[in-house]
Amino acid sequence: MSEPIIKVENLWYQYPESNFWALRGINLEIRRGELIALIGQNGGGKSTLAKNLNGLYKPTKGRVLVEGMDTKEVPTQEIVKRVGYVFQNPSHQIFESKVYDEVAYGPKNFGLSEDEIAERVEWALSLVGLQGYEDVHPYDLDYGKMKLLTVASVLAMKPDVLVLDEPTTGQDHRGRWILADLSKKLNREGFTIVTITHDMRYVAEVAKRTILIANGQIVMDGPTRKVLTALDILHKAAIKPPQVVQLAHALREKGIDAGDPLTVREALEEFKRLFKK
Amino acid sequence: MSEPIIKVERLAYSYPRKELVLYDINFEVNKGEVLGIIGPNGAGKSTLCKALNGLVPHFYGGKYGGRVVVAGMEVLEHTVAELSTKVGIVFQDPEEQMSGLALTVWEEVAFGLMMLGFPKEEIVRRVDEAIKQVGLEGFEKRSPFELSGGQQQRLAIATVLAVKPDVLVLDEPTAQLDPIGKFEVFSVIKRLAAEGSTIVVVEHEIEELATFADNILLLDQGRVKAYGPARDVLTQVEKLKSLGVDPPSVTELTYLLNKELGANLEVPITLDEAIKIYAEALGVS
Amino acid sequence: MSAGISLLKRTAVEANTIFQRLDGRVKFLYFIWATVLVYIFYDPYLTLAFLIVTLAMAAYAKVFKPIAMTLLIIIVPWIILGVLILALPFGFPWNKTVIGYINVLGYRLPVYLEGLGWGITWPLRISVAISSALFFYLTTNQAKLVATLFKMKVPFKAIYMIIATFQFIPLLFDEANTIIQAQISRGLKTDVGVLQRIKNYLAVVIPLTISALNKVQTRAITLESRGFSAPVKKTFLYEARLTAADWAFLGIMAAVTVFLAWVYVTIGYSPVAHLQWIWA
Ligand SMILES: Nc1ncnc2c1ncn2[C@@H]1O[C@H](COP(=O)(O)OP(=O)(O)OP(=O)(O)O)[C@@H](O)[C@H]1O
Ligand SMILES: Nc1ncnc2c1ncn2[C@@H]1O[C@H](COP(=O)(O)OP(=O)(O)OP(=O)(O)O)[C@@H](O)[C@H]1O
Ligand SMILES: [Mg+2]
Ligand SMILES: [Mg+2]
Repeated sequence: MSEPIIKVENLWYQYPESNFWALRGINLEIRRGELIALIGQNGGGKSTLAKNLNGLYKPTKGRVLVEGMDTKEVPTQEIVKRVGYVFQNPSHQIFESKVYDEVAYGPKNFGLSEDEIAERVEWALSLVGLQGYEDVHPYDLDYGKMKLLTVASVLAMKPDVLVLDEPTTGQDHRGRWILADLSKKLNREGFTIVTITHDMRYVAEVAKRTILIANGQIVMDGPTRKVLTALDILHKAAIKPPQVVQLAHALREKGIDAGDPLTVREALEEFKRLFKK
Repeated sequence: MSEPIIKVERLAYSYPRKELVLYDINFEVNKGEVLGIIGPNGAGKSTLCKALNGLVPHFYGGKYGGRVVVAGMEVLEHTVAELSTKVGIVFQDPEEQMSGLALTVWEEVAFGLMMLGFPKEEIVRRVDEAIKQVGLEGFEKRSPFELSGGQQQRLAIATVLAVKPDVLVLDEPTAQLDPIGKFEVFSVIKRLAAEGSTIVVVEHEIEELATFADNILLLDQGRVKAYGPARDVLTQVEKLKSLGVDPPSVTELTYLLNKELGANLEVPITLDEAIKIYAEALGVS
Repeated sequence: MSAGISLLKRTAVEANTIFQRLDGRVKFLYFIWATVLVYIFYDPYLTLAFLIVTLAMAAYAKVFKPIAMTLLIIIVPWIILGVLILALPFGFPWNKTVIGYINVLGYRLPVYLEGLGWGITWPLRISVAISSALFFYLTTNQAKLVATLFKMKVPFKAIYMIIATFQFIPLLFDEANTIIQAQISRGLKTDVGVLQRIKNYLAVVIPLTISALNKVQTRAITLESRGFSAPVKKTFLYEARLTAADWAFLGIMAAVTVFLAWVYVTIGYSPVAHLQWIWA
């Protein structure tokens, strides 16, 4: 069950008419069922990579293979069926004047029947907690709900891989946990999920594998715990790990071993152990 | 020395033909202070920001009650144009910050300074300084629309930093910034406050806010749910959690430890405090 | 992200020819001047001359392509339609001089000189107006232009209206581009025929226009908040003085005006008169 669903081979990308490489030789394999976080400094190339994965951008050099199909050779609509991308800025994604139509747009393109479309819309909206908003104008939603709507409208296409570009920005903490639970739930149901984020607390809670990108290259790629505790490398890539990781690190320097907790829950267990002594 | 630069009294507001989105808001911010505003989505944070520079009610219309005084100007009696000489605002969506009249990042930052009539040499100096403060050196000649999301947000911040207005209103300014970028921007904001600017900042990034804000105002569904010194607000873990707001990790961790172990640790709100408290409690100094 | 804006803007930044350096006001004057003159004269040859000169300047300033594209899309269909309607016997009163016959579906139709003159002149005139306006727009740095307008003490509201007019088109392009990207990423078919493409496009025209209008309004809010109409004396980093090149350009326009005035007085301005004059 772990054949690569996406394979990126030596991908270089340059924006049209620009004179620098936004991506410089990315090699990457994503397997079915993975739950990945993509982190790294501003301008590192995360969004650019994401748009190369769903065929919106085509590699300047190198290849991207989605289920064996070269994104340069297959029509984009075949790729987006398999890899769904949720934009960083919701106003770059929303174009319909009703929540329902926005979510229905993708399924409609697949030529589904009205009933099937309605079913998918309902399913997607309820997953993100937006049932009841069907007739609302998307721009009348607050920023947090607007982002949830963009997630729902990609979900409705039921892609194998879901790429979320900073889904937690502008999200309150409740929304953040809705997204975290949703990601885990969808992942259990077989979706492959790639989340781009600057929120290390979120990464720690959600991702199994973390990829660190800087200056258009992959700097580190491995289990989340390993990446988030590599403080030196993280710092060079403008990342601060979660607060509890920093706390444990600082205490270790003072001779207290509080383990390698990533989340508040894990830290709580470690400190309970320490204080009970 | 405390003279209130911002004074909000019994402010209530609704957008045209809508329900009230702000009810009976009261607070003051003294010169050189940082006020952090937190709260869930739809609480009215952005609306409150717009009430400080007069966009609410002058641009949006609607029903308005109470009084807002900013830098000696009663908002109702002054135009947005007049207020713009004293109040700088960074909008939530960085794309909204762009004037559309600048071909390059450099010109975009210079725009506000030109409009406010700063001398030429001063403009050049301040633009270069602001660009450096937000880490956009090397991007001066780039179009404001050919940046990554975070770079564009950095630019949006720079356009206001350069002006160093008496009052700075920032609406989730670091949402798309990488962690070090967040830290750097907050440091610059703190420095501006030390130089005498008065600052209001909306943030979901509570762990950073805890180290920089003097006071915090917790807003929920248009009402003030808590308001006071940062420590007092952020240590009300139960209340924050019930409104869906996460306190800083170290605050939550300590609160849970105290609760589950019956320990009696002092509750920290920043990492540095936490390190000190834990080191002492675990017998190292 | 914003191909529209960059497409139109970059041309203004990247090239730096004498025409980019000309003062915005001079180029604006050129646009008004050329449009008025071709309107007064109504002569296909003179109009064509103006068009060629404008396009030549555009080519030199490296903005030929967008102008040519616009003309192609707007003007060419008009010429065809206009010539057909005006030159053939649809009962227009001015059609007097038959210059030949064509066969359409077995009918032998007369072609009138007057109608032909009108059919060609009208679209050409509009071409001159459009191309000189675009020439002004594409070679003028907006920030500089705004600075100039401020210096001329044009009221804030009027300046804002000018800006809004000029930004609407790029914002529209930009929105169109954004929406199409969004739709492609949600399964819009891209390997389809022209007809389907046009249909897809028409389907978004209305939301597109609304959202571009919204953006114009958001811009107004932004400008206001950033001190655009703050009651203070503005600073400008650009010199708004006319240079020797500006004066030379104005001089040429003045000379041409005098010459054309002489032509106007001695020959008159009816296109028909001209055509006959040339024909004979
Ligand atoms: N439309 C564009 N045209 C030209 N260059 C661009 C464009 N968008 C982004 N870039 C550049 O490409 C590089 C990578 O940008 P990208 O948006 O992929 O970064 P990112 O990792 O997503 O950053 P962020 O965290 O700020 O969203 C940056 O240097 C950026 O300035
Ligand atoms: N221009 C507007 N017209 C009508 N209603 C609006 C407008 N802007 C905001 N609202 C409504 O006012 C309420 C408060 O919105 P506001 O944007 O101030 O919330 P917020 O706290 O900033 O939320 P977020 O965290 O999502 O940014 C919301 O219910 C929103 O739908
Ligand atoms: Mg990005
Ligand atoms: Mg807001």
